[in-house]
Amino acid sequence: MTKKGAASNLAKNNGNADGMIDPVSLMKIKSMELRAKVVVEGFWKGIHRSPYHGFSVEFSEYRQYSPGDNPRYIDWRVYARSDRFYIKKFEDETNLRCHLLMDHSRSMGYGSGAYTKSQYAGTLAATLAYFLFTQGDAVGLATFDDQIRQYMLPRNRPGYLRRLMLTLEAHPGGGATDLGPPLKRIAEIITRRGLIVLISDLLTSLERLESDLNYLRASGHDVVIFNVLDPAELNFNFRTPALFQDIESGRNMYVEPSVVQKVYERKLDKHLSVVKTTCRNLGIDYHLFATDRPFDLALLEFLQDRMHRRKKIRHVKASTARRTV
Amino acid sequence: MSFLYPLFLAGIAAISLPIILHMIRRNTRKRVTFSSLMFLRTTVPRFRSRSRLENLPLLILRCLILCLLAFAFSRPFFLRAVEGDQIPFGKRVVLLIDTSASMQRIGMWTQAVNEARTVLENAEPTDRVCVISFDKNAIMLIGFESWSELSPGRRVPVTIEEISGLSPAWASTNLGNALVAAAETIEDDEINDRQQISGQSQVVLISDLQQGGNLDALHTYEWPKQIELVVKPIKAKGNTNASMQLMAKLLVTSNDYQARPDNENQLRIRITNSADAIVEQFKLNIVNVDSAGTSDKSIDVYVPPGHSIVTNVPSGPKSITGQKIVLTGDDHNFDNTLYLAPNPDQQVNILYIGSDDDKDPKQMLYYIQRAFQPIGTLKPHLVSRRADNTLTDTDIISAHLIIMTEPLPQEHIKAIRREIESGKSVFFVMKSADAASTIAAITGFDNIKAEEAKVDEYAMLGSIEFEHPLLSLFAEPHFGDFTKIHFWKYRQIDIENLPGARSLARFDNNDQALFEVPLGKGSLLVLTSGWQPTDSQLALSSKFVPLLYSILEYNGVFDGRQSQYFVSDNIRIPQQGTSVPTKLQIRKPDNSLIDLEPGQQLFTETQLPGIYSIESPSGNHLFAVNLPAQESRTAPMSLDDLEQLGIPIQSSFGVTLEQTRQSKLHSSVIEMESQQKLWRWLLTALLVVLIAETWLAGWLTRPAILTQGEEK
Repeated sequence: MTKKGAASNLAKNNGNADGMIDPVSLMKIKSMELRAKVVVEGFWKGIHRSPYHGFSVEFSEYRQYSPGDNPRYIDWRVYARSDRFYIKKFEDETNLRCHLLMDHSRSMGYGSGAYTKSQYAGTLAATLAYFLFTQGDAVGLATFDDQIRQYMLPRNRPGYLRRLMLTLEAHPGGGATDLGPPLKRIAEIITRRGLIVLISDLLTSLERLESDLNYLRASGHDVVIFNVLDPAELNFNFRTPALFQDIESGRNMYVEPSVVQKVYERKLDKHLSVVKTTCRNLGIDYHLFATDRPFDLALLEFLQDRMHRRKKIRHVKASTARRTV
Repeated sequence: MSFLYPLFLAGIAAISLPIILHMIRRNTRKRVTFSSLMFLRTTVPRFRSRSRLENLPLLILRCLILCLLAFAFSRPFFLRAVEGDQIPFGKRVVLLIDTSASMQRIGMWTQAVNEARTVLENAEPTDRVCVISFDKNAIMLIGFESWSELSPGRRVPVTIEEISGLSPAWASTNLGNALVAAAETIEDDEINDRQQISGQSQVVLISDLQQGGNLDALHTYEWPKQIELVVKPIKAKGNTNASMQLMAKLLVTSNDYQARPDNENQLRIRITNSADAIVEQFKLNIVNVDSAGTSDKSIDVYVPPGHSIVTNVPSGPKSITGQKIVLTGDDHNFDNTLYLAPNPDQQVNILYIGSDDDKDPKQMLYYIQRAFQPIGTLKPHLVSRRADNTLTDTDIISAHLIIMTEPLPQEHIKAIRREIESGKSVFFVMKSADAASTIAAITGFDNIKAEEAKVDEYAMLGSIEFEHPLLSLFAEPHFGDFTKIHFWKYRQIDIENLPGARSLARFDNNDQALFEVPLGKGSLLVLTSGWQPTDSQLALSSKFVPLLYSILEYNGVFDGRQSQYFVSDNIRIPQQGTSVPTKLQIRKPDNSLIDLEPGQQLFTETQLPGIYSIESPSGNHLFAVNLPAQESRTAPMSLDDLEQLGIPIQSSFGVTLEQTRQSKLHSSVIEMESQQKLWRWLLTALLVVLIAETWLAGWLTRPAILTQGEEK
């Protein structure tokens, strides 16, 4: 069986009852590109048996038929599935330049399960890249810890995706997390407006988070943040006292989980709350993702954000046009 | 099981420490790698519930270590039947009672008897008691065996009765001798009676502990450590005690007599006041010995406490019975009488056989005449005879000292030899080599030859027998230098052919200078050189007169002539000088008469102070016996003096029989434990457990694999 076949079987057989692909099973696929392909193709197929009733298919590739649209662009397969008329968008309606910012600090190397956050984040990034690439969007990549380590310009050329995948497969060997310098540098590098997808655990001081993110928003970029955290980080479900060692600094701390759990949860909630608030204030789409969540959902949420944003833009444009008229 | 030091078992409580530590012990072996510690804080270890004690085997081992340590220190042993339960825990007690002259002070003997009674009444039925009285000598009154033989009910009364029969005498105090005797009595009893091992040995000393007590015997005696000394000091009423000693008269020659005409009637008396005295002024009265009153004339003396003075006291009218000086003004009168025996003139007959002119300084007689001058009571009577018919046997017999300087005719040789054999010493000076024939005739050995020595410039005395009584007075280094006496002439004589001849002095060339030939009871002393200036410088040296008087003393001229003695001294009976022994008697101060054995040389019954009289048909000779000076040093000595001699002192009977029994039991227990030595086994087990604990702890704390958030 070819890799493609295996991946197809995986999508078919290891999908959960909801039709999502189990990340654990997915991560067994060694090829990042294949993983991404599986997710994306599974995503497409999953749309037909989506458990998300009322799920809106108004993602960037389709929009609902409006009287006056050219019927030749109706996607009859979608109609067959949903008894509704959807118009497939033209490519010129997208033409996106997407920059994937991958956190490659040492904290991303943590994982309580079979794979680390970095592996999950890389797969997530690969999935987004694959999806956008197939949509004809240009995708670029930058990896960082406390500074930009690698940077690939957004392109949509044959073979470029593979290069992206290979970069994403690299093991994070960076140092501590510091968003400031990398984001500032990205803002300097990226001159054309586009989409910036930041994938990070954001386990760093939030004192300058707003100012750091503002580097990007001030340049006019759309920013989406995928805050990837391990379930153990979210729940702190340790039972016995142990010497906890910081993966980045190497510092040790004797911790009795039963004593500190509530404090941990409180602090984490506060941290996440600050992040959310900051993102909301800056108009950044924020998604908290545990590494045990199916990648399909990530893609779905990503697309939902894009559709929502497009609606806002069209609404603004329409408002502007009516005023102009 | 019992424990020698049970308090150490309290250390077992320390096992709570590892238990507590195990309950709060951090699980530092588990390590969890986490992405960030920014939301965590350090947790203080807290107690776990009992059910969650970890590493139970390690905990048990650590508790066991502490238990073994506590047990080892507590020195456990298995109790056997203690032999001490079967042993009567009695004491050995030697009761030393001071009966010296100082105990005659008022009230002291009564105190002593009461103390002795108290000690005896406090004795346990299992005690063994010995009673010794002492002054100059220690006398056992009741021994351990005698005590044990008495029924328990009779021991104390009988002993007290014996003690009551005692009374202090007049002898001095030899405390050292008494203590040594007491300690040796205990040691002898321990050796002889091993079946009755007592728990304690004590010497109970009842004494005034005067400073005059002789402790010399203790300096060379190693006091047994197990014998304690219990001191019952007897204290006198009144501290002031003055005493007197008769001092020797200063040497007075006939010339000095002219200058100090009163010296002949003066007595030199030393008055000593005790160190703790309060009174400083005293009176001296000199009276006849049998007089009870005082004289009209008394002498006042002033003596500070702890000091002594020498004063001249007029001797008073002469008395044939003797005199005494009585001191008044102090608190104790036991030593306030000084007895003085009359010191009659003593005529010493010296026979010089020679043809010298006594006025010619070049001849020997001249110097003999000047050497023998009257000194004090000594009245030398020099008779000079030629060695011819003018010399009579009477001259020879009556002479106390015979000095011969010329060869004797045969008829006088026998008389001389007879006198020598009867005990006299004859001093023969070899004027020439011909004198050898006289030596041969006297000694009876013909093969004696002499010749004039060839002296190169002069000869000196090179070797002198200072150990000989004749020359012992020159033994002191500052008296023994004879090198300044030069000899120009002497006679060489070989004395090897004279049996028994002993060289007393040799010249530097080893020739005989002075030698002695014993004959019978006496001896012939031969000087090979004259003392006149033509022969030597001997007559002009300071040693000449002392040598002559030494010959007199060696001759026994002064024996029996001493007039002052001390209590307990042995008196040498003066020799009669006749071949027929005469009966002698001695009258003591209490007027008792002691018959002396014929030929008895020593009289030892001088226990009473006073005037003694040696009565013989030829006349009486008086001598005085006084208390020894040290007996008047009545200030009490410090107990430190005894402790410094290594004697453990207990001030009173502080240890009860029960304490002794407990002490004995403890000693048995200690011995039992030291035999079993269980602590060694415990320490061995401790080491084994310690090794096991170390291994187990190391195995359990081997490095853990770091997990990425996974718990072990």
